Amino acid sequence: MKGFFGEFGGQFVAETLIPALDQLEEAFERFKNDESFISELNHLLNTYAGRPTPVYFARNLSNMYRTKVYLKREDLLHTGAHKINNTLGQGLLAKKIGKKRVIAETGAGQHGVATATVAALLGLECTIYMGKIDAERQEINVRRMRLLGAEVKVVDEGSRTLKDAVSAALRDWIKNVETTHYVLGSALGPHPFPTIVAYFQSVIGMETRKFFEKEIKSYPDYIIACVGGGSNSIGIFKGFLDIESVNLIGVEAGGMSSRLGEHAMSINHGRLGIFQGSLSFVVQRDDGQIAPVHSISAGLDYAGIGPEHAYLHSTGRVKYLSVNDDEAMKGFYTLTKYEGILPALESSHALGYFIKNYEDFKNKTIVILLSGRGDKDMGIVAEYEKNRGL
Amino acid sequence: MKGAYILADYPYRDLFIREFEYLCRSKVDFIEVGLPFNDPVADGPIIAKASNEVAEKGYNIDDIADIIQCNNGKKIYIMTYSNIIYNYGLERFSKRFESILDGVIVADLPNIGHEFFIKKGFSIPIIPFATPESREKDLKKLNGFNGGFVYFIGIRGITGGEVDFRSENIKIKYNEIKSFTDKKVIIGFGVKSVDDVSTILSYADGFVIGTEIVKRQDDFEEFKRYVDKIYL
Repeated sequence: MKGFFGEFGGQFVAETLIPALDQLEEAFERFKNDESFISELNHLLNTYAGRPTPVYFARNLSNMYRTKVYLKREDLLHTGAHKINNTLGQGLLAKKIGKKRVIAETGAGQHGVATATVAALLGLECTIYMGKIDAERQEINVRRMRLLGAEVKVVDEGSRTLKDAVSAALRDWIKNVETTHYVLGSALGPHPFPTIVAYFQSVIGMETRKFFEKEIKSYPDYIIACVGGGSNSIGIFKGFLDIESVNLIGVEAGGMSSRLGEHAMSINHGRLGIFQGSLSFVVQRDDGQIAPVHSISAGLDYAGIGPEHAYLHSTGRVKYLSVNDDEAMKGFYTLTKYEGILPALESSHALGYFIKNYEDFKNKTIVILLSGRGDKDMGIVAEYEKNRGL
Repeated sequence: MKGAYILADYPYRDLFIREFEYLCRSKVDFIEVGLPFNDPVADGPIIAKASNEVAEKGYNIDDIADIIQCNNGKKIYIMTYSNIIYNYGLERFSKRFESILDGVIVADLPNIGHEFFIKKGFSIPIIPFATPESREKDLKKLNGFNGGFVYFIGIRGITGGEVDFRSENIKIKYNEIKSFTDKKVIIGFGVKSVDDVSTILSYADGFVIGTEIVKRQDDFEEFKRYVDKIYL
């Protein structure tokens, strides 16, 4: 079987999908080195999505915590998150392989919106699968996708969140594999998806590296990014894997507690398992059933993690740690109040980790990846405040 | 070869045991016992819902091993998902089940993945798949797998879908598969009626029915009537 990072990864999918995965791999290998493909993608990234995104020196935060904090601003991209980097890439790829329809899963709705956006742009039919609970808590994104011309199918089975949206999308793909490309949104699933998504997201790391090489003339000491499936984090880590002095930190969603069902910490509290296409760390019960997970952020509310992260954990190159819901909210409030930037609750985990452990970072240079903006989370924030009498 | 799929512990233990025993005494040639998984990506709504229900309550694999023996030479297979076996332990599962099973069918383990299981100590034969998407290079490899037959997923889709088994496309694909393998080729996914069965048996080695049986597992009388009607 192909597509392993060390002992993690693979292609654990229905036999029906193997030819489609082979076709996708072949197309990806061909077009990632194809000049006209790359220039078309770069043109869209620059003129449509808004790349390159700034690396912003957060002066107020830096003063407060006696450190140098830089923010990589993926929140400024069109559609509000890093997801568009990947959907533009895969959308173009789908066209090249002659697929007329794209499907995608979505948790927070950001990947769904980014896919629907690219489908509208490229004239592709589009169906988005979203768990019922997510569709309710991210209702605005459901409306956005429908306005963009996508059909949104609300998945009312299993845990009614991202896991079930992925399964529903896989079922659709099995049925319609001839005409349809599955735009997987995170660096997970069967090979070649983890590699493709990481490749299209690696632009985040390349730009950040270039900024430090050109403007600062030295590398940062730490890079902190949130990890659910792991697409934004793998994107920025890719730019620095070969520079040993740069410490890489992935922050998992600690949820309410480390009890099963109350968190989404695949590496910190999961075990090796085979889930939705690959062998990686999975939050599961003793009997191998996938456990329910929780995070205040819909985008991190997932029982698995991409296989390359499992590998980077096993080699020790990246440290995977966590913060809970409250600590993430603290990150959210702090950035909003002191920098005037509303971060997505996903990215708030990276901020929360920094704030909780700021003593460790004194006089260091830190990059925090702001993977998305928080407008979509207003409903959750309001509910959080209501529940706590704030 | 006429096969029946039954979901372990559904709707509850005692009824599952009675139904399994009924299949043992029936004219069924082989029985596939489904071990429920709560992310059943290859299953349609009926088996998926039933699987989720059993998985939610939890079940003990060792108990199921004790139950699923016919003692009359009927072939028994387990059908499940990779993580159920992987989590139990590939070697441990092999030891526990090797005297009971003729093979396993793993919905999310493609043919190229058999090697991964075997290298990690899995020693029970694994049934290979053929699909409408199978390419010549895939079909050429079928004889090399240790599973006793080829499971032909006749449709693009999930269990319980709508299929016309009279269609020329299925027959053409079926004959193409046969031309590459000496193994028996069994058609699964979407087989429902007496009519489907007689159509399939006119050109194929056999079939297996799942969704239509699982649908009736919560009503023993209905279950028996259906089994008696299909397996003559």
